[in-house]
Amino acid sequence: MDISSLIDSLHPLEVKVLSTFGTNPSAVLQTEQLAQSSGLEPSQLSMAVEWLLAKSLLTVDTETVTPIVSLTKVGDLYFEKYSPIERVLSAARDAATTGKRLTIQDIQAREGLEPAEVSGAIGRLKKEGALLIIQGGCIESTGRPSQTAEAMRSLLQQLHGATRELREFSEAQRQVIQDHAVKRGNAREPFRIDDRVARALKLSVAGIDAAQQLSLQGTAEEVSQLTPELLKDGSWRTKRFRKYTISLRAPRIAPGKRHPYREFLDTVKTKLVSMGFQEMRGSLVETEFWNMDALFMPQFHPARDIHDVYFVKEPTHASSIAEPFLSRVMQAHQDGGETGSTGWNYPFDAERARRLVLRSQGTAVSAHTLAAQPAVPGKYFSIARCFRYDQVDATHATDFFQVEGIVLGEDINFRTLLGLLNLFAREVAQAKEVKFLPAYFPFTEPSVELHVRHPKLGWMELGGAGLFRPEVTLPLGITVPVIAWGLGLDRMAMVALGIHDIRELFTDNLDLIRSTRGAF
Amino acid sequence: MPTITIFKQDLEGLLAGPGEALQSITMEQLEESLMLGKGELKGQNPDTGELRIELQDSNRPDLWCCEGIARQIRVKRQGALAKYDFLTNTSTSPKRLNVASGLEKVRPFVAACAATGYRVTQEGLAQLIQTQEKLAEMFGRKRRTVSIGLYRLAAIEFPVTYDLVKPDEVTFTPLGMDTVMTLGEMLLVHPKGLEFGGILAGQDRLPFLRDAKRQALSFPPIINSREVGEVRVGDDALFVEVTGTDLSMVVLTLNIFAANLADRGALIEPIEVRYPYKTALGETVMTPQDLGKSRTLPIGTIEQALGQALGTHEVAKALAAYGYAVTTGPEQVTVTLPLYRQDLMHAVDVVEDVAISRGYGDFLPVMPSQFTVGGLSRIEMVSDRVRALMVGMGFQEIISNILGSPKDLRDAMRLEGTEWGKLVEVDNVMSQNFSALRQWMLPSLLRVEAASNRAFYPHRIFEAGEVARPDPAQPLGSRSVTVLGGVIAHADAHFSEIHSCLDTLFYYVNQAYSLEPIQHPSFLAGRVGSILSGGKQVGVIGELHPEVLERWQISVPAVAFEIDLTELAERS
Repeated sequence: MDISSLIDSLHPLEVKVLSTFGTNPSAVLQTEQLAQSSGLEPSQLSMAVEWLLAKSLLTVDTETVTPIVSLTKVGDLYFEKYSPIERVLSAARDAATTGKRLTIQDIQAREGLEPAEVSGAIGRLKKEGALLIIQGGCIESTGRPSQTAEAMRSLLQQLHGATRELREFSEAQRQVIQDHAVKRGNAREPFRIDDRVARALKLSVAGIDAAQQLSLQGTAEEVSQLTPELLKDGSWRTKRFRKYTISLRAPRIAPGKRHPYREFLDTVKTKLVSMGFQEMRGSLVETEFWNMDALFMPQFHPARDIHDVYFVKEPTHASSIAEPFLSRVMQAHQDGGETGSTGWNYPFDAERARRLVLRSQGTAVSAHTLAAQPAVPGKYFSIARCFRYDQVDATHATDFFQVEGIVLGEDINFRTLLGLLNLFAREVAQAKEVKFLPAYFPFTEPSVELHVRHPKLGWMELGGAGLFRPEVTLPLGITVPVIAWGLGLDRMAMVALGIHDIRELFTDNLDLIRSTRGAF
Repeated sequence: MPTITIFKQDLEGLLAGPGEALQSITMEQLEESLMLGKGELKGQNPDTGELRIELQDSNRPDLWCCEGIARQIRVKRQGALAKYDFLTNTSTSPKRLNVASGLEKVRPFVAACAATGYRVTQEGLAQLIQTQEKLAEMFGRKRRTVSIGLYRLAAIEFPVTYDLVKPDEVTFTPLGMDTVMTLGEMLLVHPKGLEFGGILAGQDRLPFLRDAKRQALSFPPIINSREVGEVRVGDDALFVEVTGTDLSMVVLTLNIFAANLADRGALIEPIEVRYPYKTALGETVMTPQDLGKSRTLPIGTIEQALGQALGTHEVAKALAAYGYAVTTGPEQVTVTLPLYRQDLMHAVDVVEDVAISRGYGDFLPVMPSQFTVGGLSRIEMVSDRVRALMVGMGFQEIISNILGSPKDLRDAMRLEGTEWGKLVEVDNVMSQNFSALRQWMLPSLLRVEAASNRAFYPHRIFEAGEVARPDPAQPLGSRSVTVLGGVIAHADAHFSEIHSCLDTLFYYVNQAYSLEPIQHPSFLAGRVGSILSGGKQVGVIGELHPEVLERWQISVPAVAFEIDLTELAERS
C-alpha cells in the first residue's frame, strides 16, 4: 500500500496519535506523554496504539513494568473500621487496663470478626511480642508496640483514594503490603499489587513518513458530507472529506426510459424520415373497402374470410364509402372499368364494402393516402397497428405493428423499386448483400420479396414490395406509378431485444422492461 | 397459399417428358428454378425424395402440382412451350356429355375429358388426388365454385348425363361407405355430405352424374360412386369432369388436368358438352378448350414499367420461355397465355412475367432520384414530446396490445353499464382475451402493475398510444385517438404526486388546464378530477379505487392520469 492510501485508510484516533509525534518524529514518547499530548482517553489511546503497532507504524522502544499498590474493597473497609490486627491489639490493651480476662472467642464475638482473621492477627502480634497467650486461652497485652499494626494504619491512610508505586514505600512497609496483598486463594486482603506497563513508543520508518505526510496535510477536521453551510462560510477549506470505499456495489435505481421495442421503432421512424418519408396515420377500425376492396383484393379472396380478419360487432357497417372511389373500385373489380384490366368478373357487393373490420394490413393506410391527393413525387410511411385472426403463440401475434408505405413518382419502375429496397436493406438492416425474389401480393405487380444477409441473423426476409396495380391506383385518382412496400422488422427487433417469443414485445413484466438494454 | 408435397424423381421424370430418361436437378437448381413459379422449398426428405413446396401465387393454380412446377421449369429450359395438340385432336363423333335443364339454377357448368394411354403410377395417383383437393379447396373455394371428379373410363358408357334429380330419386354406394343410399341420405350421413352439403342448401333437386346405362358416376360436388369413381394404381383410362358455378374457372381447371395428364403421356380426348341453356361459350362446348385471348402490348409499356430497354426480341424471347404464345410486330408484342393459365388481367401481369422469366437478378437496382421531404405527423410529434417529458419525470415506457378483453377494459375498472365502459368489440371472437379494442389506456398500465408486484418500488409507468372510442356520430362508429396514460404505484402513492406530473406536462406543452371534481367509478370519490383544457374535457386524474386495485390484484396504492393527445395536437 502506498503512503497516501495508507493515510486514507487511517482511523481518526490513529491520525491523532501519529500527529502527536508531530514536529519531532523521532521522539520516544511514554504512553502517559502520548495520553497527555493527544488528549485521548486511555481506552481510545490503547486501541489506537494497538492498531498502529499492528500496522507497524509504531514500535515499542522500551517497556517498563512498575508494581502499583492500591486498596481493595477490604482495604477501604479496614480504613474505615480498622484492620483485624489493630482491633485485636486494641482489645487486648483495653483488657489490660480494666484487668478483665479476654478470650479469643470474646474478641471474635465482640468485634464480629472471622475466626481466620482473628487467628491471623493474634499470630502476627504474638510473633512481634505485642501479645501473649496465657493459660485458659486468654490473651494479654505485653504493652509493646506492633510494627505491623502501626504500619497498617499508616498504609491504609496513605493509600486511601490513591494509588502508589510499590517502590515509594520502605522495606518494612513493603513487607507488610506484600504480606497483606491479594493473592490467589486469599482474596480477603486490603492491598492489591498491579503491574503497570509503561511503554516508550517511537515511530517506525513508515510511521515517520505517515506522520510527516499528516503534518503536511495539516490537522484539518474530517467531515463526511459537504454541506451548504460549509460552502457558505468557506469552512470547507479547513475540512478534510472522508474518503469512500467506491468499490462497493451501487444502489439500484429505476430510471425513466423509453420502452426498448418503441426505441427500436423510433430508430426505424427516424431512418425513414431521414430518407424523405412523410408519416401517415390511420384508423384502427376500417371498412372492408379501404382494407381490401381498394387494394383490388376480390371479395371472394380467401384472406378475407372470418378466419383471417376480425369483424366489428357494433356497428357492423360504416355509414357510407366516399365517392367516386366506391364506384370506380367497384368497376375495377367487376370489369376493370377505366383501368385497362379485365377485372375479377364477379358482382361486387357494395354493402360488403361498408363492413367494418379491425385494420388487418398497413396498406389500408396507404390506400387512404392515395385517395387524398398525395404529393408527386412523394414518399410516405406508417407504423400501423394491425390485427389478424391468428392463434397467439411464440411467433404469431394477433396485434402487431406493420411498417409500410408508398413511393409515388414519374421515375418509379421495377428498377427503382429494387433500388429503394437496396436502400432499406442497407439503412434498416445494415445488410450489404441482398436477394430479390418473385413474390405475390394481390395489390402489386410486379411483386418482390427482399431477402438480406443480416449481420447477426444470416439470410432473412426483410420485406415485400411491388408496384401497385393500376386497378389500385387509377380508381383512387393516381396516374403515376407507385411503389408499395412493407418491412417485417419483428424478427430484427426480437434479436435487438434479446427475446425469443414475439409476445414479449408487449410484455407485462416490468422487471424485464426495466432491465432490457435494447441496443439497436 | 397452398403447400404441396411432390417427389423429386417424379419431378425429374416430368422435366424430361414421357418415355425420356430422367432429367436430374440439384437442390440448388431446384430452389433457383422455383422462383419461376414463386415457389419456396419448405422441407425435404432426402431418403424418400419428398419435397414440400409452398406456392405463393393464388392466381396460378396450374403451379400447385408437380406437373405444373416441372412444366414451368421445362418451358424455361426449352425456350418455349410445346403446344398441346389435344385441342385440335377432335374427332367427328366425339364423346358427349348432356346437361339437364334446371342445372343453370343449381350448378350450371361442367367440363370433361377422357385420358388414355397413361398407366397410373403411385406417384402419379398421389399428385392427381392432391391436385384435385388443392384446386377444389383453394381455387374452387371449398368446392363451391369448382369441384373435380376422376373415374375409371372403362366402366362408363357414353353419352354421360349431368342430371338434376330429387334427393330420394337415385341411389348409389358412395366412396368411403359400403351401403347404397339416396343423395339426401348422403347429405345427412356421409362426412363429405356434412362438410360440403351447405353448397346445395335450399335446393329441392340435386346434381347427379350418370352414364348412358343410368349407372351413377357421382353426386357433384359431394362424392363419387364407389364403383366407377375410384381411380387405382395401374388404371390406364380415366374420365375427368369438373363442375361448378363459374364457366371459365371450370374450363381452366379441366385444362390444367388435361395438361397434367398429357405431360405424363396420356392421350387427351375432348368431350362435347351440350347445354339446354345458353352459356358464354355457347350451347355446345368442347372441353378442354383454350380460352386465352391474345393481347397486344407496346414494347414501350413493358420497358417503361421495368425501367429497362429490352427490345422486341428480348421481350418475346422471355415471354416464350415463360409459356406464352408470342408474335411480334413493330415495337409491339401480341401474346396469348397458355391454356392452363387465365391470370392475365392487365398488361402489368405480362410485365412481371418478363421480369420473372429473365430473372430479377437481371435488373440493376436504381435509386429513385426525385427529392422529397420527410417528416412526422402532428400527432406523432406531440406524442414524442410528451413521451420525452414522461421519461424525464422518471417514468418507464410500456407498450401493450390494443386488443384486450371487456373484463379487463371495463369490468375490472368498475365501468359496467357506464359511458366509459363502451367498447369496440369483435364479432368473430377467437379468444375472450382479444375481443375488444381498448377504449382507454389505464387498463393496459394496470395489466403491467398486476404482473409486477415483485419489481422494486416505486413504479412509474406510462404509455402513449392508440385507443378506439365508440362514437355513433362517426362514419366508422368509433374514433381512433392517441392518448397518454401514466400510473404511479407504491406504498405512499398520493394524488399530489401524479398531479405534479400532470402540471409539469401541461406547463411544457404550453397549455392551460384546470381540474374539476367528477364522479368516476374507477377512482376514489373526492380524489378524482376531469382535466379541462380549452373548455373541453381532455382527460382524467385520480387515485384508483381500492376495488379496482383488488380486482386487478394490485397490492399497493396507485394514482393515475390519462390525457387525450389527439385533442391537444389538433388544438395547438
